[in-house]
Amino acid sequence: MGDQELEFAERWRDNAYGCFSSGHKFCREVCPVMQVTRNENHTPTAFHASIVAMEKGLLNVEDVADDFVHCTQCGACELRCPNTLMTGDFYRHRTRTVDVVKAMRALMVETGNEQEAWKLWNERLALDHNEPVLGDTRVSQEHVADWAIGLDIPVGGQTLLFVDCEAAFFRTSYTRAFAQLLQKAGVEFGLMREQWCCGGPAAEMGYQDLALKHATHNVEDWRAVGATRIIAPDPHDFIAFTEDYPKYFGEAYDFEIVLGVELINDLVKGGRIELTQPVERTVTYHDPCRLNKRKGVHEAPRELIRAIPGITFKDVDRVTQWSYCSGGGGGLPVAKPEITKEISRRRVAKAAELEVDTLISACPWSERPLSEAGHEANLGVMDLFELVAVSAGIEP
Amino acid sequence: MSPVAFKSAVDDHVVEELRAIIGDDARVRPDQSSRAFRSRVPAPFPVHRWAEHYPDVVILPKTAIEVSEVVKLANRHKIPIVPRAGGTGLSDGAVPLRGGIMIDCKLMNQIHEIDLVDRTVTVGPGINMLKLNEELKQHGVIYPDDPASYPCSLVGGRIGTGGWSLLGARYGHTRDLVISMEVVLPTGEIVEIAEGGGRKLRKSSTGLTLKQLFTGHQGTLGITTQATLELVPRPEVEFAAFFAFDEYIKAWETTGILTKSGLATIAGVVLFDEKKIEYLRRDDEAYIPQPDTVNAVVAVAMYGRRCEVEPASKEIMRLGKSNTGKYLGDEISAGDWASRHDRYATPLHGRDLDGQAVLMSWHCEDAALNYSVLPQVREEWHAIVARYRERYGIFDDWGMFAYTSGAHKPWADYLVEIDVGIWEQKLNDEYWAAWVDCKREIAQVSLKYGGSITACHGATREGDADLVPEEMGSAWPVVKAIKRALDPNNVMNPGKQSLDEAYE
Amino acid sequence: MTIFRLGEQTPPPPRRITDTVVERLEHQYEVDPDLMQITPQQDMPVWDSRRIFNARWDHLDWMHAHFADEVLLAGEESETMEEHP
Ligand SMILES: Cc1cc2nc3c(=O)[nH]c(=O)nc-3n(C[C@H](O)[C@H](O)[C@H](O)COP(=O)(O)OP(=O)(O)OC[C@H]3O[C@@H](n4cnc5c(N)ncnc54)[C@H](O)[C@@H]3O)c2cc1C
Ligand code: SF4
Repeated sequence: MGDQELEFAERWRDNAYGCFSSGHKFCREVCPVMQVTRNENHTPTAFHASIVAMEKGLLNVEDVADDFVHCTQCGACELRCPNTLMTGDFYRHRTRTVDVVKAMRALMVETGNEQEAWKLWNERLALDHNEPVLGDTRVSQEHVADWAIGLDIPVGGQTLLFVDCEAAFFRTSYTRAFAQLLQKAGVEFGLMREQWCCGGPAAEMGYQDLALKHATHNVEDWRAVGATRIIAPDPHDFIAFTEDYPKYFGEAYDFEIVLGVELINDLVKGGRIELTQPVERTVTYHDPCRLNKRKGVHEAPRELIRAIPGITFKDVDRVTQWSYCSGGGGGLPVAKPEITKEISRRRVAKAAELEVDTLISACPWSERPLSEAGHEANLGVMDLFELVAVSAGIEP
Repeated sequence: MSPVAFKSAVDDHVVEELRAIIGDDARVRPDQSSRAFRSRVPAPFPVHRWAEHYPDVVILPKTAIEVSEVVKLANRHKIPIVPRAGGTGLSDGAVPLRGGIMIDCKLMNQIHEIDLVDRTVTVGPGINMLKLNEELKQHGVIYPDDPASYPCSLVGGRIGTGGWSLLGARYGHTRDLVISMEVVLPTGEIVEIAEGGGRKLRKSSTGLTLKQLFTGHQGTLGITTQATLELVPRPEVEFAAFFAFDEYIKAWETTGILTKSGLATIAGVVLFDEKKIEYLRRDDEAYIPQPDTVNAVVAVAMYGRRCEVEPASKEIMRLGKSNTGKYLGDEISAGDWASRHDRYATPLHGRDLDGQAVLMSWHCEDAALNYSVLPQVREEWHAIVARYRERYGIFDDWGMFAYTSGAHKPWADYLVEIDVGIWEQKLNDEYWAAWVDCKREIAQVSLKYGGSITACHGATREGDADLVPEEMGSAWPVVKAIKRALDPNNVMNPGKQSLDEAYE
Repeated sequence: MTIFRLGEQTPPPPRRITDTVVERLEHQYEVDPDLMQITPQQDMPVWDSRRIFNARWDHLDWMHAHFADEVLLAGEESETMEEHP
């Protein structure tokens, strides 16, 4: 057992015992990975137990490295855990499975137990400063704002729009729709001079130094243009900016962070965006994990959908959706694409049971696996902003 | 024959044979982490002796044939088999005592058939009840096995333990809700087990009623690979009412009044004792603000059609208050009932001798007792735990619940539990031995009062297991003869329930 | 719309409820931090406390709906809290 492992066990032991002394596995059936593999190694119970086992010298990082890849960091388990849900706020001591998974993955990197696919992914991030979301085609700063061609968005200003890598290079329709909605409402905003990856995914895969480097760059860029408010349409960025960045920068981190979907909902409610074009679709909504489970955001997207004229909305409540996931998060599609594929297939099948023609999501990372599964199941997958833009009469 | 029939003999050769049977290496797991994670359940665990409980290899089968072939192999080589479903059992049933092959049935979680005409659902043992009911909802039916572990235990483990359900007074418990099953015997044969013949018949008088034998045996008689379960109409309404009392005896009397009322929609009545209320005041938002005249509580829940439950609820309100009971209000009644699965095992409930919050493991010592003896048993149990708490400082008394336990007959039988917190991080051999003694003393009190040492969790843990022969009394030779006949080599979950004695 | 500002994520000072319980955020009880000397408390931002609190109530509602179509209530006030508001 190396020093790093013992140090790690020491750091996380209390939280681990919170689970180890319960071990009741309320978390198991909400876990999207577990629903597919049904392998107890992939449960939060096992993740926490492995820390106790390390402390006792029974397991080392190598033994559990593959287990810890099996997680999308959706947060379902730690929210459903009675130690969070029933008493986490009372004791200010909740189950922190996502943090543990991130920390273990960092330990995997430190101790040379890396996942090959994640290593390559992050090497390319280090090189290009955005995630390699286009496969063999390289991404670059030169093209990071190509999605905005013709929209006339300035660089800099008090309010910045931060665009996620997936949304900047791959699902650009999402980003365009969002920016056009802001423009329609007359919201003034600019882009960064040089927009690097938020660093969130690198942190999720255990590449902490790289994550910090990217975060530092971004914050410097924000300060350099005098920005005070950052709009984050992508839930993953929102988490990085409200959870990772405060840890990196402490009190000096004084930016206001606004979540895209809540902003658009406000603009619609306040009459600054009028939804006039009927959308004759029968839809259901996929609660993105990082909104619903990790942040408790579930009302704004539903209000927005209901504000669209002509739409038939077959909703599935937010608690049922704690056990839903697209499989697109936490680096899972990079390391275990077959599991992501099965998770999204099941999610789409759930939607299809409702006899809808469209599954709406509000997270670009979910939309790639969901769209692929939707394609196979003959079900449309759209982003909420894309849909709202249609209803607002915006030409893409 | 020696009681410890064999030592585990899983070598590379056996692992190769297992791989050949399963044909998918991902489902044959001799690796360290697979073994470590399946060596315990939520019950307090001698963490300082963790590795002694590792299985040698874990199998994740998908079919009864695979299970059967693995069991045949184990029987041939005399290797222990430990069935594991959810791993939520509270008496170590799924914890290996002698290594061996663990058969983890979570991948067998299919719904094979929903029969809305003859009202059954046939499933694999790896399915969870909450997940099953999510599927059944659209058909207007429900499988009403509702333990507090409803979100996490699995059908195979419910059958293995012969579990108890919070709604049992109305709908029955696991054994009443399982209609028939497919079982792999310790020698590997696959058999259909029901009342008589007939996979979907609730009652038969042909031959011997084998079904009961194959529920609650803790994996010592075979492995259930498929089960046909009861479907009941989904309740139209739920009603719950909580009544407070200034002393335990009045609450106990009111429990008797309610359970003897003859109201058929009563699904369960729960009696919280004074220690339980004291404990709930630590961190439960419903109890924190209650005045100190609230010292015991009786909760009652009803399910059914509105036309039945609505008038009955008025009678419940009358009876609940008839003996000084005070209604706790709608919000607590509804909210606390809805949290019935989640409130048990939070480790921060634990307090050390100075009142500091410490992370403790939850031990639920359950017994089956008659109504008449509850007050005496309560006093003796608390005295035992107080003694151990005082002496060792790592135990904590979390109070007692008594729940109606007779299926459809709530008046006389109770599942009585004393919840004890244990500071696991402090465990060493001395404390563990003390703990086993403490459990044994508690169980002995149950026997003294004509009770059974367990109503649902099973007598498979150290301490209780020693008392099984005593409790079974004159029937013990019959039990041993059955075990020996079905499991000639003692391969099925050996070392549990004192069944080694069958081979002496 | 909620705007995240780090400076607003520290809860206000506690108000005492019982010997062992305090309250910082409305309707949300917390353990007296003095009892957490062995098990350290976490740095829990306001948004996270609130998220857990709201999720708890959503979960309880869900559990009712899971088991029955409708919850019937006695419709009577609490008789214990009357005397002890
Ligand atoms: C928070 C909490 C609350 C609980 N509340 C209750 C309650 O209200 N009522 C209650 O009855 N229990 C309760 N329990 C205990 C536990 O959930 C039950 O004992 C449950 O039946 C165990 O199911 P499992 O799937 O987890 O089985 P496991 O723990 O995996 O196994 C239990 C036993 O069954 C055997 N077994 C497993 N699968 C099979 C199979 N396919 N064939 C044959 N034998 C098998 C195992 O060998 C073991 O002996 C609770 C537990 C927790 C953690
Ligand atoms: S993470 Fe929570 S729900 Fe899951 S086993 Fe641990 S304590 Fe129980």
